[in-house]
Amino acid sequence: MDYPFTVKLSLPAIDSYVAVARLTVSGIASRMNFSIEDIEDIKVAVSEACTNVVLYAYKDGQDGAVEMNCTIYADQLEIEIKDTGSGFDVNEVKARGLKEADEEATNLGLGLAFVESLMDECEVNTVAGKGTTVRMVKQLTSIGVV
Amino acid sequence: MTPKFLVEVKDSGTTVVVNVQGEVDVYTGHELNNVFKDVIDRGKKEIVLNLENTQYIDSTGLGIIAYAARNLSQREGKINVVSVRPQVMKIFEMSGLSKKNIYFFDKEAEALQDIS
Repeated sequence: MDYPFTVKLSLPAIDSYVAVARLTVSGIASRMNFSIEDIEDIKVAVSEACTNVVLYAYKDGQDGAVEMNCTIYADQLEIEIKDTGSGFDVNEVKARGLKEADEEATNLGLGLAFVESLMDECEVNTVAGKGTTVRMVKQLTSIGVV
Repeated sequence: MTPKFLVEVKDSGTTVVVNVQGEVDVYTGHELNNVFKDVIDRGKKEIVLNLENTQYIDSTGLGIIAYAARNLSQREGKINVVSVRPQVMKIFEMSGLSKKNIYFFDKEAEALQDIS
């Protein structure tokens, strides 16, 4: 199959399914021959983005989904984590960042900081009332077999 | 397969040893949080947190550990973390939590000796 191609997964935005996203991306990254350390980084980054959706995207018990699109290139893995929830102020969250790591249930800023640190690229697009997309990229340092 | 999540608690005087097996995330973290709350409510001062069998942790787990460490600091207690895998240690270091009333040891016996 010619590059790139995409694997799509839609999950309910509930806490017990974050591990399913993590396991799925782990399988894809493993298939691409990422190193064990890089696979662990990707798992944490995907988990953080999905956790943010579960905790913050949908208000007042509203049901929602988290979509994960993994686009596989010869030399990189691009992952989009998307929701159609309430959106948030990216700058305000980033300003909180790592400073609030000692607060209970304030992992939103910390989670995004982790994604930025662990991946080669991270971009957050959020629109109030429409949803948020976190796009992240990990480069393959040596080209694997897909 | 997601590894089975299990939290085991062993009392040892004013100290409690908490063994965590599996992956700590937004789903499983509640259980660890409840264990910490119970330990702190029972007046314990120190927690030895054994992560030898913890394969994964993210910001949710770190937040829970940090919150417990902060509560313990109010009674001059602390958390000694044991047997952290390299990837889990990387997450601790990135968060800056390794400087906040949380200390790291290779062996459970060393962590217990530090408290006694």
